[in-house]
Amino acid sequence: MASYYDIDDILAEEEFIPVVFQKAATGVGLLDPSSETNNIEQGAKVELPFWLAHELHTRQAVVMSIPSCFNQMTKKEIQADPGSVDLRNRCQYFYELGCKLAPMVSDRTIGSFLLYAFKNRYKEVLSKAHTSTFIASTKPLTLLTKEETHLCDAAQSSMAAFKKWRIGGSRFERPAVLGKKRKPSDE
Amino acid sequence: MEGTEIYGRRACQLVKELACAEPGQLTRFNDDLFNQVIKECTVHYSQFYELTRKMQEEGLDVQSARNADHFGMLIHHLSLLRNKRCLMAYVHKRSEVIQNLSWKVGRVLPEEIENKLSDPEKRYFKSHSSALQSYMRGMDGLDLTVDMVPPKDPYIKVRVLDDIGVTAMGDRDTNLARHSIHFLKRSDAEHYMFQGMMEELLG
Repeated sequence: MASYYDIDDILAEEEFIPVVFQKAATGVGLLDPSSETNNIEQGAKVELPFWLAHELHTRQAVVMSIPSCFNQMTKKEIQADPGSVDLRNRCQYFYELGCKLAPMVSDRTIGSFLLYAFKNRYKEVLSKAHTSTFIASTKPLTLLTKEETHLCDAAQSSMAAFKKWRIGGSRFERPAVLGKKRKPSDE
Repeated sequence: MEGTEIYGRRACQLVKELACAEPGQLTRFNDDLFNQVIKECTVHYSQFYELTRKMQEEGLDVQSARNADHFGMLIHHLSLLRNKRCLMAYVHKRSEVIQNLSWKVGRVLPEEIENKLSDPEKRYFKSHSSALQSYMRGMDGLDLTVDMVPPKDPYIKVRVLDDIGVTAMGDRDTNLARHSIHFLKRSDAEHYMFQGMMEELLG
């Protein structure tokens, strides 16, 4: 269970999930753009952020379906070439959202699909982070989800730390919070 | 009522601001958005309250009835909790960064950082550093904020990046003019380096 203050967890729960209302609800017409009154009718199809959809789902007020980033097309693309699928564009929190969704929706294959995607992309991500120079590596970096970017950064920073240790660089780091290395001189 | 934004969207933007910032960096406290989210919470609360009253007038039990009003209430309630979580995360994350500042930058904040803090945050920083100071005084004046990296040599060579002026260093006064190079005791130089006024010379 992620911490209450976990920023990535909060953002992952903001992803939209298509749901169908099983019960009517008053005073919340804003959630349904097609509704003319301030109410939601039974059977209305809307997209809700996960944090809302999840709670309503456990109270049997809505039925969730699978968002587009886990549809058949994405699955096929990932099976064909895991490393070149642009997951960031589809869902920044692909794995986190998938793990939250897996126990709640009817599709039982999500879990194994996530594992397959992660295992195969992991290999590519890490080897790229190690080998490529900065300019060459920006292209594949745009395809990664948040989780994969963290991994990639971790690999790069430990490589940098290792190199620094070997050469013996400066032991004093200017605090990052101060920003740029030198202030523009004011004279 | 609160415009066309879906519930929790503004609060999420606030959190996104944190996620986009470089790790350890502060952005200006977003008063405007923060207040908008609080206003949204008030709207949720009043709508929640209205629906409760409506149900009571109809003679229904608010706890057990499962009608449309109940689910309307539920959605307002959940949105309120969500907004609260986002606001708390925003303040919490910033407070962590601010706490670190008193270890890294020292007791006085550079102006460009101080401008980014809200008033309660400035107070928080002040009381955190004074708590740290009084703790260190309690340990016979041991300065815990220096030597964060184990020193190899008690003396180091530094270049001054800012006009600091004549300062007492050990038993004599040293003129720390811009671009001058000095051989100083490490513990004397450390604070200036953390404030970005000196840099270590290597080689």
